[in-house]
Amino acid sequence: MRRWRYRPLQAAAVAALAALMTACAAFAPLYYRAMQQALTDITITDAPVVRSSLVLSSAPGDGAFTSAPVLPPEGVAAFVPPDYRGDFHAPVLGYTANAVVVPVTPTSSSGDLIWRDGMCDHLTFADGRCPDAADEVAVSEDDRRVLGYDVGQRVMVAGATGPNGAAAQITLEIVGIYHQGGGDYWFGQSLTGRSGAVQGAGTTPEHDVWVAPREPFEQAADGFDVRESSAGYLLDTEAVDVDDLIALGAAVDALAHTRPDVGQAPLRVVSDLPGLASSVQDQIDQSRVTVPLLMAQLCLLAVVVLWLVLLAITEQRRPEVAIARLRGRGGRGARRLLLAELLPVTLAAVLPGAALAVLASWIARTAVLPGSPPFELGWSFVLVLGLAVLVLVAVTLAAVGRVAREPIERLLRRVPPRAAGWALGATDAVVIAGCGGIVVVFATGGLDGPIALAAPGLLAIVVGLLLAHLTTPTAAVLGRRRLRRGRLRAGVSLLDAARSPATRRIVAIVTLASALAVFSADALVVGQRNRAAASEQTAGAPRVAELRGNDLLAIRAALAEVDPDGTTVTPVVRVSPPGDGAVDTVAVVPDGFSQVALFPGGAPSSDLWDKLAPPDAEPIVLTGDSFAVDLVDSSLSSQRQDGKDHPVTVGLDLVTPRGETLHTTVGQMPKGTRTASFSHQVSCTDGCKISGVWVSSLPGASIHGAVTLRNLTGGDEAVGIGPADRWTPFADRSVGTVEPHSTSADHLTVEVDSASATVLTMQQNWLPTTVPTLVSGPLPPGNERNRFAMAGLDGEAQPAARVGQLARVPASSANTIVGNLDTLERGRSVLATDRLEVWFDSDDQELYDRVEDALAEQGVQIATTRTLGEVRRTYDDSAAAWSLQLAALVGAVAILIALLVLVVSAASSWRLRTRDLAALRMTGVPPRSMRSMAVASQLPAVVVGVVAGGLSGLVGAQLAMSIVPLFATAPEVSTLDLDTAWPAVLSAAAAALVVLASGSILIGRALAARADLRRLRETV
Amino acid sequence: MSAPVTIAPATGGLRVSTQRLVHIYRSEGHEVAALSGVDLDVAAGEMVGLLGPSGAGKSTLLSLLAGVFRPSAGKVFVGQVELSAATGRRLDELRALDVSLMLQGAGRNLLPYFTPLENVRFAQDVARKAGKELPDPDEVLGGVGLGTAEGGEAHRPLSELSPGHLQLAALAVAMAPRPGLLLADEPTSQLEHSARDLVLERMAALNRELGTTVVLVTHDPDVAAFLPRTITIRDGRVGGEGRSGEEYAVVTPDGFLPLPLHVRDELLPGTLVRFHLLEDGSYTLIRERGETDG
Repeated sequence: MRRWRYRPLQAAAVAALAALMTACAAFAPLYYRAMQQALTDITITDAPVVRSSLVLSSAPGDGAFTSAPVLPPEGVAAFVPPDYRGDFHAPVLGYTANAVVVPVTPTSSSGDLIWRDGMCDHLTFADGRCPDAADEVAVSEDDRRVLGYDVGQRVMVAGATGPNGAAAQITLEIVGIYHQGGGDYWFGQSLTGRSGAVQGAGTTPEHDVWVAPREPFEQAADGFDVRESSAGYLLDTEAVDVDDLIALGAAVDALAHTRPDVGQAPLRVVSDLPGLASSVQDQIDQSRVTVPLLMAQLCLLAVVVLWLVLLAITEQRRPEVAIARLRGRGGRGARRLLLAELLPVTLAAVLPGAALAVLASWIARTAVLPGSPPFELGWSFVLVLGLAVLVLVAVTLAAVGRVAREPIERLLRRVPPRAAGWALGATDAVVIAGCGGIVVVFATGGLDGPIALAAPGLLAIVVGLLLAHLTTPTAAVLGRRRLRRGRLRAGVSLLDAARSPATRRIVAIVTLASALAVFSADALVVGQRNRAAASEQTAGAPRVAELRGNDLLAIRAALAEVDPDGTTVTPVVRVSPPGDGAVDTVAVVPDGFSQVALFPGGAPSSDLWDKLAPPDAEPIVLTGDSFAVDLVDSSLSSQRQDGKDHPVTVGLDLVTPRGETLHTTVGQMPKGTRTASFSHQVSCTDGCKISGVWVSSLPGASIHGAVTLRNLTGGDEAVGIGPADRWTPFADRSVGTVEPHSTSADHLTVEVDSASATVLTMQQNWLPTTVPTLVSGPLPPGNERNRFAMAGLDGEAQPAARVGQLARVPASSANTIVGNLDTLERGRSVLATDRLEVWFDSDDQELYDRVEDALAEQGVQIATTRTLGEVRRTYDDSAAAWSLQLAALVGAVAILIALLVLVVSAASSWRLRTRDLAALRMTGVPPRSMRSMAVASQLPAVVVGVVAGGLSGLVGAQLAMSIVPLFATAPEVSTLDLDTAWPAVLSAAAAALVVLASGSILIGRALAARADLRRLRETV
Repeated sequence: MSAPVTIAPATGGLRVSTQRLVHIYRSEGHEVAALSGVDLDVAAGEMVGLLGPSGAGKSTLLSLLAGVFRPSAGKVFVGQVELSAATGRRLDELRALDVSLMLQGAGRNLLPYFTPLENVRFAQDVARKAGKELPDPDEVLGGVGLGTAEGGEAHRPLSELSPGHLQLAALAVAMAPRPGLLLADEPTSQLEHSARDLVLERMAALNRELGTTVVLVTHDPDVAAFLPRTITIRDGRVGGEGRSGEEYAVVTPDGFLPLPLHVRDELLPGTLVRFHLLEDGSYTLIRERGETDG
């Protein structure tokens, strides 16, 4: 202690470095473990309950197991090995039975009847109560509203089939109208939403799931027609840690492959725990390299700095070692003298270092990592601490050994002999060759993966060491030149820098630290930028609501009510045709979509969107519940393949406001007549657009001739069907032609010439013949000169043409076709399988509420929503993102370590340097010049180091960023942008320069301030 | 300056002798002969000063006597030990038990973070472990005149001591293992006269009371005058010797006689001289041209 009180700054610096090294080493396992726990936490909590839970069911099903008995739920629950039950809450046991209301009539219903253990706590009752007797049942609110069931009503359902093959009939009394509660209790199962649905023609409507007590499910006689028994296990997220999840994944996987005993119904396992475990394991594997690698760089830097500092300190102790040797202590005694001074300090720093690591991990767990990962001191932490102790001892021994081994005559020299000039030490040469070799392998693509994070550090070591060896001789040459030119201040400063052993280590360390800072800043910002871009690409818009149903008209009406301009909310229809390789169609309103959607990397130009405009033609609208038309001057004739005549049918295609096309027959011309009048009922009270005129005959029959449609009326309103330029002639070489003729609005002559056709349709111009589209990725197969077939809103093929190429389509796959919704909905109805979405230009809850209300008024419900923030969180909460955040910490700490090097260099040589400065003062150098010289002797090394480090970090980033993992798993559509984040790079370099240069200046000034003349008389 | 101290017969001192001692070192690529055949004999318990101009080789000779340097040629004996042939371990033992070297500048002899007392304790450590009977550190410090009472110089940080006290502390440290040979390089340089005299008196007293052989290097004529015997090193050789105020030229074992400086100015290189034995047994030095120098 006495010794360190004599040099407190040195002691503090050595202890700080040793603590820092220990902290870096010990932080790695703590952070790594916390990251695993956070990953697990996020993965479990973000996963829908259906993925994170385990539901086992015993169901005879079809085939060989039809007659196998259903196990009781307790038996099903027992399949989960006892070792794993602690990871779950108590199982929710249950039965499911078929409930077909008898006698079967068109108005009777069918559906499921269930019992779940504790279900009454998770249902609320709008009317009545939870059933508790064997003959009681509760139905949903929708069943009351849609199917008319009500409390007090008795219904009869078909029960289990008896030995005689006949199903029992069970009378149940409805005792409650339930409303399903939220939460995970139901394992994601929705009890409602089926009421009134009809699956096919001639079938009875479905009712929602009914609930009943357990008893009738287990009655042998007059019991329900039980379909399955089940046990649902909800994951206990508080109890499950990463190890449990990984083990559970394997256990559930094994459970899923459990073969039933003979005569036992097969076990069905519903869970994605194996998938979740696999996802966590993948990220753990990724971080297994990144975290230790990043921290190892910092540890290495701290160890190297500690080594250099200890060298400087032991160098300063040469006279003391000489005294020990002169007093008869041999090399060992000298070593003991130094070790007795240095080792306690380095080792005493281990515990504070460990505490620092724990503190840092606490900050990381509370401020960086999501959730609340627990604090764990595992064996790896203890092991790393042990390693840190070994490294500290080894470094101290090595540093002490160098001086202790020196012969006395060298120790007694006031100025120790030094290697001068450009000579490169063997150790430095090996390090440069090794690191340089690895950098070359990186540059040539020989290395891949997270280890790329080490590239900038290795490059900086090479540059730093080379530069360090170049700096001192260069400074000496420049210094002498300045002196010759009479520039005393600069000359002395440069020569001082050249002879100081600290100059080399400052250049090397500052280069490395600056490189790490610059690279980590670039990596952090590039990572954030890419995650932001990927989030935008995945989300599509600040908020996206997916809607139930396919009532596009209602949706557009609701949106028009909220946002008449269509600039804050916009509808998007997504058509995903079945089949591998099928290209999705995304129908948008260009004006709104271009403003609402997010386009990472830049939005397409408005010119491109303009090209999607629908045909500029007015529709011919027919309104009313009937229409009438005269067919005049008909010369239409059709001849069957057997040569006989066949009447030609004339019709109109009427498109309802909902996009349905009514293929409406006008009539057939009576034989021998050329003119006739027709009228028909039609559901066009809201207005139908006449999209086509068609003629038809038998398959394979020819059609020739012409007919004029005149006096078309809808209701009582006349409808102008002409002139001819409102129609698109039809011409197909293999089918025939249909041509319009008319110069007046009140009639239209249709001339047909077809050798073989069933139906020939001539389209109205309002209906697009070819849809202009923007395409991302290659065109679908079968394309020709930018023309291809796309999936229309009705799922049918629709002719399309590419009018522009997009790099990406927001929230869509790489190969997507974008069309104008106004164009695509013309003549096409929205298919039930189409996904209808509303995209919001902001995550504004008030706007969302207004849209939700407007949609509800139109009878449209929002199924799910996703926000940009939620999507961003899925990218941010990943091992890759956390690793990059760690890289930023590494950069910051590296600068701190470099600052420590400056401090320690000054502390270990301040007596000598202040004496030199005092000598200068003695010669009459003014204090101001002395201050400048004190500052200038170190500042150039710092500036050179920062510049070289900045460039190394920049080049290292160019080498490494393409292989640094930015995502846990690469997004489906790449938005990768690895351009240098110049503001971040320049800021980091500037920060390094400001911190280190300021430190250097302050140190220089402090030394100058201490350089009074009394230093020259100092003998101790 | 006090009167010269009478030296008591040596009891614990070591005899020091060198034979044809040569030391060559390299400097900026050239070989430089620091010593070119030094023959020296210092009796046990003697107190001898090494004089000579800067660069003459005094400090080198002192380092050779301490076993810090190995001679390029010739032999060095300290007591019964031939240093030039001793192993490193033997030299360590010798320095721990029998030979102390005081470096120029008190601070270079003291561990800066220790008090004088602790420095003495440190210096005695190896000898004590080797079983040598040693006085208490307080006694050693008291012996050189440093106050050992609570708050005395012996217990104060070095930075609080005057240069004289520092030098005394360095002397105490050097004498701590009760060596047979004390080698001191300019022990009184940078000291004021009173401090110088104090240090010299203490050294002389230790020499007298303990019988320690003392060889010290000095530039100071007053110090030289204080010493009973001085040896002048010139151009790497023994250039002369002073005893009780008289200056002598010393004939080397191979018969050479270095001329005193004032004579050398007279007898330029190449001058032929003859030695003429007079009846009373003295010699007359006769130049070639017939002029006579006595």
